[in-house]
Formats: sequence, structure tokens, C-alpha cells
Amino acid sequence: MTGRATAAEKPQPAVSVRGLENRFGGILLHDGLDLDVRPGEVLGLVGSSGSGKTVLMRSIIGLNRPSAGEVRVLGQPLAALHGRPRRALLSRIGVLFQNGALFSGLTVAENIALVLKLHTGLAPAQIDRLARQKIDMAGLPQDAADRMPAQLSGGMRTRAGLARALALDPEIVFLDEPTAGLDPIGAADFDRLIRELQRSLGLTVFMVTHDINSLVAVTDRIAVLVDRKIRLAPLEELLKDPHPWVQAYFRGPRAQAAHGAAGSGH
Amino acid sequence: MRSVTDTSASSSRDRPPAWFDLEDDNRLRVGGVWRLAQVDRLSRRLERAGLAGRTVREVDASGLTELDSAGAQLLIRTAASPDAIAGVDRRFRGLLRRVADAEAATADLSRTRRPGGAGAQLALIGWRTVGVGLRVWELLGFIGQCTGAVAKVAVRPWTLDVRATFHHLQATGINALPIVGLLAFLIGVVVAFMGALQLQKFSAGIYTVDMVGVAVLRELGVLFAAIMVAGRSGSAFTAQIGAMSLNEEIDAMRVIGLDPVGMLAVPRIVALVIALPLLTVYADLVALAGGAVICLALLDIGIPLFLERLSNAVDETAFLIGLAKAPFFAAAIAIVGCFEGFKVTGSAASVGRRTTTSVVEAIFTVILIDAAFAMALSWLNI
Repeated sequence: MTGRATAAEKPQPAVSVRGLENRFGGILLHDGLDLDVRPGEVLGLVGSSGSGKTVLMRSIIGLNRPSAGEVRVLGQPLAALHGRPRRALLSRIGVLFQNGALFSGLTVAENIALVLKLHTGLAPAQIDRLARQKIDMAGLPQDAADRMPAQLSGGMRTRAGLARALALDPEIVFLDEPTAGLDPIGAADFDRLIRELQRSLGLTVFMVTHDINSLVAVTDRIAVLVDRKIRLAPLEELLKDPHPWVQAYFRGPRAQAAHGAAGSGH
Repeated sequence: MRSVTDTSASSSRDRPPAWFDLEDDNRLRVGGVWRLAQVDRLSRRLERAGLAGRTVREVDASGLTELDSAGAQLLIRTAASPDAIAGVDRRFRGLLRRVADAEAATADLSRTRRPGGAGAQLALIGWRTVGVGLRVWELLGFIGQCTGAVAKVAVRPWTLDVRATFHHLQATGINALPIVGLLAFLIGVVVAFMGALQLQKFSAGIYTVDMVGVAVLRELGVLFAAIMVAGRSGSAFTAQIGAMSLNEEIDAMRVIGLDPVGMLAVPRIVALVIALPLLTVYADLVALAGGAVICLALLDIGIPLFLERLSNAVDETAFLIGLAKAPFFAAAIAIVGCFEGFKVTGSAASVGRRTTTSVVEAIFTVILIDAAFAMALSWLNI
């Protein structure tokens, strides 16, 4: 599925977290947390509000220095790298922040072109072509290319953010609540898009989400952040997990509706 | 038969990272790693081989080991059509199809560009003119709203938000003392210095005191205090209200039944109308002190002599004229600042743009009002 694994040895995890500890003002968010993301899988991260999902993602992509523990992305310690190796590694990952985090002074196409300009030596015409390709692949109409982020709806901004995250054909994309604020139809479209891109580009997807429909529809495995640690399993196994929060989450009324919908969809 | 081979990796490796091989004019074999990092070099080599842009009728892609969307784009743009690419590994078929769709969708759009030329420029000038007219109209409306809201508070003073008013009084008045003081002192020094240099030539150095007194009390004290306040507080009003506007706080007020103009603009206007006259008195005093220092240093005019000369040269009308302008300047700065804040829409960039506009317009308005005062006073012979 990946199409990228040049060496056919034992596949190295796309992301590996060992003994992660995060402490904020005396509050322990993560305590000896371990997590492995397999290459080519779609992994969903869930947890109650304030359990540190976003902090975990930020620790992985090097925006947050953990109190203790080791984080490796594509086998390399991102936070410890500087200069050229850091840029090289950053060009292999893409991040979609909540609400897109588009640069508000640039058009959508310029947002994407900026990334390409920074990491490649391509000619302007070629950069423009690639930017427009990404806009189409993220499911945006072409006339969105020359619009400013403020002129886009929330869903379009998320898609534009995804287009920017995909600009360099990364191996992993990190998505922070991509379907938050989208209507159910838009969210389902986005789920389909993630699945489709994951298949055609061979992406590894790490997705923080609260959207139980999304979890059912696109994830291969689900990481649940409870009691400052991760419980990682496919959905069917998590349903059997006796932990009260996990039960409440996956057996709650909204979850039941989502399972029902997924069941009838097959 | 022509044969072009990409031999970029001249090292002894048996297979270069990305290669193509033109077997005859219409049959191209490609292989290796066609990824973003290779695209620049590959496309230049393809161009040199005369293969740029949808020319090859048969592409054998069975040698591809890695492909991403940038490489796929290049491949599709080289082939006469996506169907001309054969032998693609199963792993890459989905990607190739997706990229071909994207190419088809983007191709027709890149040809249609926006109309330019003189007509568009003319239209732009027209739109800008209409825009300026609309702005003035809206600003007049906002002045009306503010006047109404302030009048309401004037009739029933207990409805004034005292907490907010005192907060803004502190922020725009007391916190501005150091910078306004420094500026006023330097203005006094500069005016006295210029006057002393020129008037000494006519042995009329003592008239420096007259000059400083009239210039500072009547014009410069209030003008520079107002300019400082426009830069400091007018911009702050725009940024504060603009940020609230982005956060939909203004809309929330409207829905709850609060009047945003009454809630946000009135305390700011009232506070500034009180603060600027006070700052003006303070600026006048400090500027005169600056003038006195120069008179002492350059002209040997002692402080008692300076004060005596000053009381002869200017009477309280000069001071009162300066002071009378302050509330008008203050109202103009506060209203423009709040108006621009309410006009913030969309993104954070808009806050920055509006803040700049707010300062420029506030200072412009202040000088306009000052000129109007000067004309009116000369007409009245004061």
C-alpha cells in the first residue's frame, strides 16, 4: 500500500513515542506514554477534553518539548535536529492545524507555493502548477486558488490547510480535528478524501479527532488517551475494553448511532 | 532513431535515481524514483530532449520504483494523454488516476486569466472613488450614532459605564504621561532653539520667550499631545474593538440586546475627551519648561525673567484657545478609532490594516480641525 518502502526489511514505525512525560504547572498530562504508528495506516487519537491530545501531537511534531521521553518521527528525533537534517525531515511530514492555520496575508495558492518555494528549487510556473494540483486534490474548486483565506468558509479553509500540508508529498500527515466545525455531509466528504489520498499517495495519517463517525469511517486503529497513557487497538477490540471511559465513549448513544450507520453502509 | 538517456547519476550505480530513455521519437521508457526532489532536474532534462508538454504518444512506465504526485504530474504532462502511459505498477495506478483528474481540472483554468489593461485601471479608480464616498457616508452615520449614545448618557449620567471609563482614562491619560512629557519637552527645546538662533541675529533674543509661549500654548502643545494620543490610544481602540469583532463579541452584544456603540464607544469617547485636555495642560507646562531650559542655556535668560516675559507676552486666551481644541481633537480620535475597529472583518490581517488607517485618519482629522479653528479664530480676530 505504501509504495514507498524501498527496503523491504522489517517496517520501521512512522512515529514512535517512548516513555513520554508532559507536565504543565504540576499537572501530569502524559506519564510514561508509549505509541507506535505503523507506516501506511490511518490512526485516530481520541481522549476527553483536556487529556492532552493536542499536546501529544505537538510533542510528536516538535512544537512542544516534553518533560521526559523520546519521540522519533520516521526514525529520527525531530526535536533534537537542527539546520539541514531538520528541514529535510520536516519536508517529509505535513501538518493540518485546527481551522487550517492558513497565512491570512496570502492567497490559497500562495500559501501552498510558499512551502514548495522553501523546500524545492522549482521554477515559479512549475510551483504554480503543483499548487493548483494540490488544490484540486484537496477537493477545492480551482477558483479558490486566488482567494484570501478570510473569503473561504470553514470547510474550505480546512481543505486549503490540507492542500498545504500535502504540498511536499509528505509521508505522514498530522491532522488536528479536521472535521470539527464541518457539517455532517462536509465531514463525510472529508473522511472520504482522507481515505482516498491515503490510498493513492500511500500516506500515513495521524488524526486527532472527536468525530466518532470519522473514527469509524477512516481509521485503521484508534489510540485512546486515558489515565495519561495510550490504549491502542482497532475499533472492534476497543469495544471490548472494560475501561469505563472507553466504554462510555464507544458505547455511548452517539457512538451507537455511528456504528449503526457504518454497519448499514457496508 | 534518436536516443536520449538521462545519466544524472554518473556514479557507478547500476540504476540512477530517476531516468528516462527515448527509444524513438514517440516511445519513452521511464523509471527510477520520480519524486518531488527529482522533478526539477528531470523536467529540465526532458525539456532539453525536446519532450516538454504533452508530446510523447507512448510511455512505458514499468521501470518506476517510486512515484509521488509531483512526479506523476510531470509524467502526465510529458505523455500525449494519460492513456498513453503503460506498464504502471499497480501501487501507482490510483495516484496516477487522481493526478490525471487534477490535471484535467486545472488545465482549462490556467488559460483563463483576469482581464487587465487600461479599462481595468479605470474601473479600479471608479471603485476606489465610490469606496471613499461610502466610507465618508458610513463615518457620518457612525458620528451620528456616537452623538446619540453620548447624549443619552449625558441626560442620564448614571447609565455611564464608570468602571470602563476610568479604565480608559488610566490607559489613555495617566499611562501616556511619560511619553507625552518627553515629546512635549523636546518640542519646547526645538522651538526655543530655532527661535534663539534666528532672533539672536537681530539682538532680539528675548523674543524667543514670546515665540515659545505663543507657539506652544496656542498650537503645538495640544497638537502634539493629540498626535501622540492618536498613535497610542486611537490605534489601541481600533485593535481592541477589531479583535472583539473577529471573536464575534460585537454580534453577541447585539443578540443579547446591548448596544455595541454604547458599550464600547461611549466610555472611550468620554475618557478621551476628559484625558486629552488634561494631557494638553501637562504638555504645555513641560514644553514651556523645555523652552526655559534653552533660554537659560543659550540666551542667559534666567527663570524669573523667563516667567516675567512670558506673562507679558501671552495672556490666558492663547492658553484657552489651545485647551478649547483638545475636546474636539479627542472626540475625533476616539470616534475614528472606534469606527475603524467596528469595520474589522474576516482575518487578523484586517485588524492591522484598520489600525493603520485609524491612525492616519485620526491625525489627518486632527490637523483638519486645527486648520478650521485657525480660520475661524482669524475671522473672529482673536
